[in-house]
Amino acid sequence: MFNTARKINSPFALSYQNSWLLWFCQLMNISSLALEISTWMLAILALCLCWQALLINLKFNSNKLAKVSPVLLTLFAIGGCIAIAITAANLGVLISMVHLLTFAYVLKAFEIKRRKDFYQLLLLGLFLLAAALIFKQNLIFSFMLILVLVLNLMVLMLIFSPSKSLPSMAKTISILLIQSTVLAVVLFIVFPRLSPFWQVPSAKSAQTGLSDEVSPGDIANLALSNDLAFRVDFKGGQIPNYSKLYWRAMTLELYDGRKWTRANNIYRKAKETKPFKPETSGQAINYDIIVEPSFQSWLYGLAIAQSTDIQIKNSSDYTIQTRNIISQISHYEINSYLNTSLDLSIDDITKKRNLSIVQGSNPKLERLGRELKSKYVSPQERSNAILAMFRAEQYFYTLKPPLLTNNSLDQFFFNTQAGFCVHYASSYTYLMRAAGIPARVVTGYLGGEYNNTSNEPLSNTVKQQGGHLSVYQYDAHAWSEIWLEGIGWFRVDPTAAVDPERVESGWSSALLEQQSSLNNDFVDLYQLRNIAWLNALRLQLDALDYQWTRWVLGYSTKKQFDLLKRWFGKDIPWKVSAVVVGSLIIFMLLLNSLSRFSLWWFKAKQATPWLVLYNKLRLKLVNKGLKPTSNITPSSFALLVTEQLPFLSSDFAEFTRVFECLMYQDLSKKQQDELLLHLKNQYVKLKGKL
Amino acid sequence: MNLLASIKQKLNATIKSRINSWLSKRVPGSYKHVLSSRNIFIMPTRFGFSYLLLVTLLFLLGTNYQNNIILLLSYLLASLFITTMMHSFYNFSQLTFTSTKLQYGFASQNIYFPIQVKTSKDHYDINFHFYQIEQNVDLTKLDLCSRGEVQVLVSIKPELRGVHELGRIKVFSEYSLGLFITWAMLDFSHQVIVFPHPKKLSNHSNFLSSINEKGPDELEYKTNQSGIDDFSELKNYIVGESQARVAWKQLARGQGKLTKHYQSQQGNPIWLKLSSMPHTDIETQLSYLCFLILEYGKTQQQFGLLLDSNLSSVDQENVSISPDAGNQHQQNCLIALAKFNNGRSAD
Repeated sequence: MFNTARKINSPFALSYQNSWLLWFCQLMNISSLALEISTWMLAILALCLCWQALLINLKFNSNKLAKVSPVLLTLFAIGGCIAIAITAANLGVLISMVHLLTFAYVLKAFEIKRRKDFYQLLLLGLFLLAAALIFKQNLIFSFMLILVLVLNLMVLMLIFSPSKSLPSMAKTISILLIQSTVLAVVLFIVFPRLSPFWQVPSAKSAQTGLSDEVSPGDIANLALSNDLAFRVDFKGGQIPNYSKLYWRAMTLELYDGRKWTRANNIYRKAKETKPFKPETSGQAINYDIIVEPSFQSWLYGLAIAQSTDIQIKNSSDYTIQTRNIISQISHYEINSYLNTSLDLSIDDITKKRNLSIVQGSNPKLERLGRELKSKYVSPQERSNAILAMFRAEQYFYTLKPPLLTNNSLDQFFFNTQAGFCVHYASSYTYLMRAAGIPARVVTGYLGGEYNNTSNEPLSNTVKQQGGHLSVYQYDAHAWSEIWLEGIGWFRVDPTAAVDPERVESGWSSALLEQQSSLNNDFVDLYQLRNIAWLNALRLQLDALDYQWTRWVLGYSTKKQFDLLKRWFGKDIPWKVSAVVVGSLIIFMLLLNSLSRFSLWWFKAKQATPWLVLYNKLRLKLVNKGLKPTSNITPSSFALLVTEQLPFLSSDFAEFTRVFECLMYQDLSKKQQDELLLHLKNQYVKLKGKL
Repeated sequence: MNLLASIKQKLNATIKSRINSWLSKRVPGSYKHVLSSRNIFIMPTRFGFSYLLLVTLLFLLGTNYQNNIILLLSYLLASLFITTMMHSFYNFSQLTFTSTKLQYGFASQNIYFPIQVKTSKDHYDINFHFYQIEQNVDLTKLDLCSRGEVQVLVSIKPELRGVHELGRIKVFSEYSLGLFITWAMLDFSHQVIVFPHPKKLSNHSNFLSSINEKGPDELEYKTNQSGIDDFSELKNYIVGESQARVAWKQLARGQGKLTKHYQSQQGNPIWLKLSSMPHTDIETQLSYLCFLILEYGKTQQQFGLLLDSNLSSVDQENVSISPDAGNQHQQNCLIALAKFNNGRSAD
């Protein structure tokens, strides 16, 4: 009908403010993944962002048309993709995908020509944020991520409200998100949790924590790390003494003169015949362990640990493992029989393996072992004699032991006499073997930090303890087990002879100081522990993170099922859907009433004191039987009053006059106050007459 | 193929007319509209649907990795979708629009319809355009509609003269996150009277005529008529009279401010005749006439208008407006031009 030959919308272009906001948002999105991206890729990404910044600067400050030639960009993109493809084998599928995504994300920003491009970039950014959560899920990181999400949404919102200031926009987005949380939480709790649809590539990260081969000096490196290894929840039960908290991870029975390794093949054979089921007796303690991803299959437990979980297998050396490696935070329940002996009888092969020493590797120790064997009859006496030696002579327990040539235990035992737990456990085990007693090295963790900051009332029983135990990497430890007739494998910790404090209550302050000087963390434990309020804060955060891990990360299909069953009893499916629909409706109604309220509040806020006063009086008069039309002016209302309530006439006329002055005249603050006072007096007078 | 296309076209037409009749029942024409749940429509945009796709993707990601936080994020984003819907609605509702019904203008020029927008809170990203103009939509955008009253001008640029019903104005907003588009189809019964595009006619005095003058000597008469400025008398100056007619000579002599008056204007008023316009195309003729009306309007001369046409394509009775001067007269003449033979311009 009309041929309005006019230009359509002007082409999509970001404002100066939004360009920079988008740039910053990209930076934040990428940094949320920075730890997973290899250095060369980070360099490329940084280059792209700098380039982008330059372009923005050029575009808005010098009015030049800053364009990147598409050929150059394509070449760059192809080059990047080839580089990713080449390194893909090393990086693993998942990390390569992350590389590809971030690369695409940065490149896309170069060609925002239409609104569609902008939207694509934004959605890609949101996906990157979610991808970052594959690798890290702790509370602080999740919180940071929400902040970055707010930033992403701000970039989006700025398109539609360019006049809004950044803080007010952040506020609006936060309000939107907070309102959304209600429904999100309901969905999280009740929405059915499905099993994985297909196999996904898992993160192929470096293994952390203990390794299955140990040479003297190894665990000292681990002791520098302040990372969390696992947490234990005793479910309100009595927590054993610190000195009993030997979390066994693995036993090392093979010694080749340099390092201790697991006797792998032997276990495999045993597994094939029949699954190992340890004999247990006595009272069990029950606890939950929440392991941080270690990308290994070791689990930790107090001997003898047993689990009913089918994903966990028991080995014949009383250690437990998962069937798959632990690539994300996992949760398992364990029963420990602390008073049951391990292996009352052992077969010849095991015995032989645990007696074997590499002849001639440490001749002095061997000689000492033979001497002990001839000197003492009972195995316990031989053991005590060695421990007495550790105690009597000048042995040092230190994080920075002198280097040993060829990991020679002789050199350590007779010359340097300074070492960490592995040194002591190794030489003790070696000596015991030389003295004819089956012995092995066990690695794991000792102790843990008890945190009851989040002491929730679990039940009425006073005896029960709340809180949890956090075990950090620096709690890693190595000790020995010797096999004694009638007792079985008996735990001996030679470290206790050298540094009793380590075994009784944890690290001595000297050791902590050493650790803080050796590692280069920004905030180290030594300083933290010495500042009371900071330490309290740290424990508080740890407790929060623990609750987060337990309730949010640990909310599994089984937990969901149990919870829903407890709430709804039978007929879960339709009740759940009813709850979802119901909450949706309530949610919308809530929002509705909220907006109504805010509108009302807005209007109320606008009302001046004189308007409030006038309306009050007006309402009173209406209640007296006056029927003004809805849009009557104050002066004609005054006439109405004169007509129907003549006794108020003069006073109300005065009231109206003052009100109109206040309402429509430009008055100074002082005049306003005076008139308002007058109005109030008049109001009181009229009220009295009524 | 052809059949299919025609069926499709018919179907489209019926759907359109259904929607229109439903709309006119639901949002009847009025000079004033208040946005509420009665007249607001809301739909996810394309971006909204892609966003939902992303949310689904995140749900899959979370499920496959059995990652509760990613699941939580996907639920949060899904709820955000709903929250945004509500926010979009509240951003849009409570707006009050008033507008005048009729506007005038020339073809191929922008014609602006003022719309008063009144609110009691801040609204963002309010856009206006005439809905039935399908191509080259000219958007009027209001980034921030703050508390109080604002006037918005919504423009159209019609190519053809005539009286046009403009139909509904579409007001829409994509605030707050572009996930939803909220819109309203407001019917202010907008009407525009489009005058022909004025076309300059050089030597225009040739085409003036008296109503009495007809026949073959017409052309000759017109040349005589070039002396329209036959002076008749001087009168006292009346405030508002054209400065061009002030008798400066007399003023200089100190005889007072007088104006010259001419015989031809009084006794024998000028007639602008459609049929005497050059060119055979009626639209072009009208354009010339339009130009002349404007010219004479400028000099406050009296003129009459006669719309007669001997062209075969024209089947309308002659229209004549008796000579007069002034803005109202000029307006009437222009309206007559716009309306002349209007049956044709409707197709």
